[in-house]
Amino acid sequence: MDFVQTTFASFISLIPVTLAQSLILGFVVLGIMIPFRMLSFPDLTSEGAFPLGGCVCGVLLAAGASPLTAIAVALIAGFAAGCCTAFIHLRFRIHTLLAGILMMTMLYSVNLRIMGKSNLSVFGAPTVFDWVPFTQPGFPASKIVAVGLLSLAVFVLLNIYFKTERGTAVRAVGANPDMAEAQGINVWAATIGGVGLAGAFSALSGAVMVQSQGFADVNMGLGILINGLAALMIGEAIVGKQSVLRQIAAPFVGAIVYYQLVSLCLAAGMPPPDLKLATGLFVLAMLALPSLRRSRGPAPAREAFRE
Amino acid sequence: MLEIRSAQKTFYRGQADEKVALDGLNLKLGTGEFGVVIGSNGAGKSSMLNAVSGSLSLDSGQILVNGDDVSGLPVHKRAMRLARVFQDPMKGTAASMTVAENMLLADLRSKKRSLRPGLTNTRIATYRERLSLLGLGLENRLDTRVELLSGGQRQSLSLIMAVGGSPDLLLLDEHTAALDPRTADIVMAATVRAVEQLKLTTLMVTHNMQHAVDFGHRVIMLDAGRVRLEIAGDEKANITVPDLIGHFAVKTDRMLLAS
Ligand SMILES: Nc1ncnc2c1ncn2[C@@H]1O[C@H](COP(=O)(O)OP(=O)(O)OP(=O)(O)O)[C@@H](O)[C@H]1O
Ligand SMILES: [Mg+2]
Repeated sequence: MDFVQTTFASFISLIPVTLAQSLILGFVVLGIMIPFRMLSFPDLTSEGAFPLGGCVCGVLLAAGASPLTAIAVALIAGFAAGCCTAFIHLRFRIHTLLAGILMMTMLYSVNLRIMGKSNLSVFGAPTVFDWVPFTQPGFPASKIVAVGLLSLAVFVLLNIYFKTERGTAVRAVGANPDMAEAQGINVWAATIGGVGLAGAFSALSGAVMVQSQGFADVNMGLGILINGLAALMIGEAIVGKQSVLRQIAAPFVGAIVYYQLVSLCLAAGMPPPDLKLATGLFVLAMLALPSLRRSRGPAPAREAFRE
Repeated sequence: MLEIRSAQKTFYRGQADEKVALDGLNLKLGTGEFGVVIGSNGAGKSSMLNAVSGSLSLDSGQILVNGDDVSGLPVHKRAMRLARVFQDPMKGTAASMTVAENMLLADLRSKKRSLRPGLTNTRIATYRERLSLLGLGLENRLDTRVELLSGGQRQSLSLIMAVGGSPDLLLLDEHTAALDPRTADIVMAATVRAVEQLKLTTLMVTHNMQHAVDFGHRVIMLDAGRVRLEIAGDEKANITVPDLIGHFAVKTDRMLLAS
């Protein structure tokens, strides 16, 4: 009884901090969802674009740039990284996953070059959270308000975009590239732009994270991808993915729920080093579920191999 | 108007399994003309259509649409002027998108895509009307994802999508071959209706000799990557299935003699 109580108490006390963090990381999940679901382009760039955004932002803050400038430059850097991954895939016909691994490996060196060292403290530098009225800077409330509003804006804008003429064309490239091409859609432009956009969101997340935690680190992206995938799957399980609205809501909802679950596990005494194993097993289970269900049902087991 | 000038395409050039798909093929199709392409397996029919649409790049030769050389243009640029329906119903539609969204994509084929909302009420009404012409009830399933439709329904949708914007050129590659006879008739009837009403310049590949006899202004027989025989005018109007099959037989004899 005592155990449950202390677990619960420490979990509750961490809810605001975790919420602020999960809202920030929601953008990486979005950066994973867009290529994966909208473009059928399973992509790993986010693992490199997230620290890229962080490093760019950290260096600029340290040099005295305004926090908004730092975020804007991080966005551009992330966009460029995403574009490169898409270009490598399209031009050299290299598998999307391999193109992503190449990019994230190369980005590690780039990130080190940008910072000149493996981590950089920007504690005390101005952040976007300073501008939130009625809250004390540095406390979760200001972060929740600032990032929450930004998430809402991005959510609404993406929803509008993916239902415009151009946004529908981008989704068609993910649904059936040959058909899209035959309907006059420039598959290259749509893929490069879409994966670029995803990279920009991952970098945005990294930049805001640096302003939130007060330091940048080249290793800050480690494992972000698998966490993001887990969050995306939880989000899709909760809100579904049958419509554009649901598909775009899934990353945000998923991130919020996933990081609270992680916090609960840690509060319950799970050793932090085991976290990646647990997350990996969870993602594996979510991916395996459909094929397990099918082989038990009336359909032949062979079907599972064909995918 | 379509003109193909000495189109040449060899797969695996210089290797043991070298395959000549198009061998100096020439073809001219006037504006509003409906050409039916026949020929045995491997004759180069699909290769010819792919070369026209741009998905197959020629070794040499030119493709002209309405007098403009499009040989150097990529598929998506040529799509401004031409529409096609594939044999495989899966290929011509975006499965995970709705019927209305697919119609929208086709509607925008030759237009510049803007940042305005895609599916407006006016557009939806237009699509409903176009689909109702088929008589398959697709007009009531605009919000259904295409993957939930049958092959025949998907192919009918592909056809309506293709003829929608009155393309300069319509390419049909055995577009009824994968359908059951009744659905094939529905799709074929819709094809002929659209082609005649809109006076579309059309190139249709078929293995169905009855279709070749019944439809179109001209029969074009391909063999080994070139046009072997063209039947037009009165001769086309009066031709019968046995006549056509006779031509096939002559060709086969000649091939035997040549080998
Ligand atoms: N992608 C390809 N790679 C290699 N060879 C090909 C390719 N596409 C076609 N060919 C070859 O080119 C020749 C013509 O093929 P094509 O598909 O144009 O024939 P077809 O007349 O459409 O036949 P069918 O009636 O079977 O559809 C064949 O010998 C074929 O093997
Ligand atoms: Mg063929």
